[in-house]
Amino acid sequence: MTMTQKQRILEVIAGKEVDKLPFGARIDVWFNYHVAHDSLPEKYRGWSQTDIIADQGAAAQKRFFSICKEEYHDMEVVKKQEPPYEITEFITPIGTCSISLLWSVAEGPWLAYEHQKLFKTEKDYPIVKYILDHTVPVFNEQYTQERQDMGERGIVMTGTGLWGPSQRVMREIMGYELFYNEYMDRPEKVDELMESMMNLERKKLDIAIKSDLEIVNLCANWSDDIHTPVFRQYFTPWFREANAKIHEAGKFSMAHTDGEMRRLIPLFSETLIDVAEAVTPVPQTKCTMSEFRRMGDKVTLWGGIPSILFEPYVSNKEFDNYIKDFFKELQPGYRLIVGMGDNLTVAADIDRIGRVVELIDKYGKLPID
Amino acid sequence: MSDCSILVEKVVEGDWKEIARLTQEEIDSGTKPEEIILKLQAGMELVGEKYSTGEYFLPDMMKSARCMSLAFEVLKPVVESSSFGSLGKIVIGTVKSDMHDIGKNIVTGFLRGVGFDVIDLGADVSEDRFVEEVIRHQPDILGLSSLLTTTMRQIGVVIKKLEESGFRSSVKVIAGGAPITEKFAMSMGADAYAADGGQAVKVCKQLVQRS
Repeated sequence: MTMTQKQRILEVIAGKEVDKLPFGARIDVWFNYHVAHDSLPEKYRGWSQTDIIADQGAAAQKRFFSICKEEYHDMEVVKKQEPPYEITEFITPIGTCSISLLWSVAEGPWLAYEHQKLFKTEKDYPIVKYILDHTVPVFNEQYTQERQDMGERGIVMTGTGLWGPSQRVMREIMGYELFYNEYMDRPEKVDELMESMMNLERKKLDIAIKSDLEIVNLCANWSDDIHTPVFRQYFTPWFREANAKIHEAGKFSMAHTDGEMRRLIPLFSETLIDVAEAVTPVPQTKCTMSEFRRMGDKVTLWGGIPSILFEPYVSNKEFDNYIKDFFKELQPGYRLIVGMGDNLTVAADIDRIGRVVELIDKYGKLPID
Repeated sequence: MSDCSILVEKVVEGDWKEIARLTQEEIDSGTKPEEIILKLQAGMELVGEKYSTGEYFLPDMMKSARCMSLAFEVLKPVVESSSFGSLGKIVIGTVKSDMHDIGKNIVTGFLRGVGFDVIDLGADVSEDRFVEEVIRHQPDILGLSSLLTTTMRQIGVVIKKLEESGFRSSVKVIAGGAPITEKFAMSMGADAYAADGGQAVKVCKQLVQRS
């Protein structure tokens, strides 16, 4: 009997042999842009992303939300709209911190940019810590709906949030540059903030573990900007702790690893994470797929096709040759899910998703010889 | 008087706690400010090479950039009275609708570190603003950064706007950012491409030598 898209993905991650390479596609940037500009191809007007991906013959993925919602206790949270910014003020008994977000879905990305971060100066340490210590996660009902909508056509692999706890401090709360300055100047205060974030994350992970989620997203947008000593100090211990619980519950874990990864590749296996998703090789980064394979035999690589290959300036012949070479490079092809690093571009031809499926049917039968 | 090699070493190590004192000692011992600056810049250039080869990353570069900044604070009173010039003027920014600035900031740090005068316009910069700033500052080089596949074509929009305004020939354009390849940068009409901050230093030096 033919496997469903979801079954094939889960079997590959479990290290079992399947008939052919699965292909998990991602088109949200392309989709958001064309919906906003009323320029979806005629055939797909009114369709959902999952329906379009399924029509092209690929598997869909859904991970752009959290299985938890945050409730804030013993503080007042005020949201203000100051277009194009959305400002959220956290008014606590010991002071106020605010974050300013900019949403730009119309241009493709669904993600908010932190126009102004929550943490701005040293005086914000106790306030941000208070906010984290008084945040209570609860189950997000959206998950149930998303899982139902997806069915067997792909996989919902959300988690406790988009970022891992340490990355949330580094990227979302402080910003990388301010983080590294604080790390140099006030390491003990950074440590305290990290501990508060970890405590919140533990509560969120419990919710994910108790759910029927098969793959737990632990982190996103990795790149070599995450310094190796910082990774070992803050990231690795958390991933090992989280993965012990995730694996005990019979689930898998993943990280969205679409950046420059050369220095993090040797550290990946230390984290015990099962799936490196959105791996993006040359020419979009400096790493080859063979280098990514060095993450370890137990790691499933999900990705391999850089987004820019879907651009119109790359000819159909160049595109086909890349995919064929990619299969050859990764032969025999186990622990591999074909995917994109990380999204279909706005100018891309959607039918190239279907072309990848055709090429898999021709050259991606396992084992690839 | 020393050969200032300790300064090169400290910049490469990113030892920002020692750099101000050592710079002051060099000044006090009679080393010319120009010589000190050249050594600091040589250190930063080495950091750029290490960044390009993957040995150094963002925090390493930030520590070295902090060294440069602290050393220049000490040098400021003596440099202001000297005629030591910059390598050239660069206007840089991330293109419209793109809020990402780490890559651009890294490049800016390296370029300033080796002696370019860099005017950083920040992120989400419109094509009109780029042209206005080129007219205002008359830079040797315009640096355009984009992290997203959705914004990378904006590089071409800026270059086209420069052409329409008649200022394209007055400035060399270098482009970079995660999804940008040399082929793409050239197809958008750029003069040059750099994959990272270290390479940007080399390419910008070549561009100002050619112009």
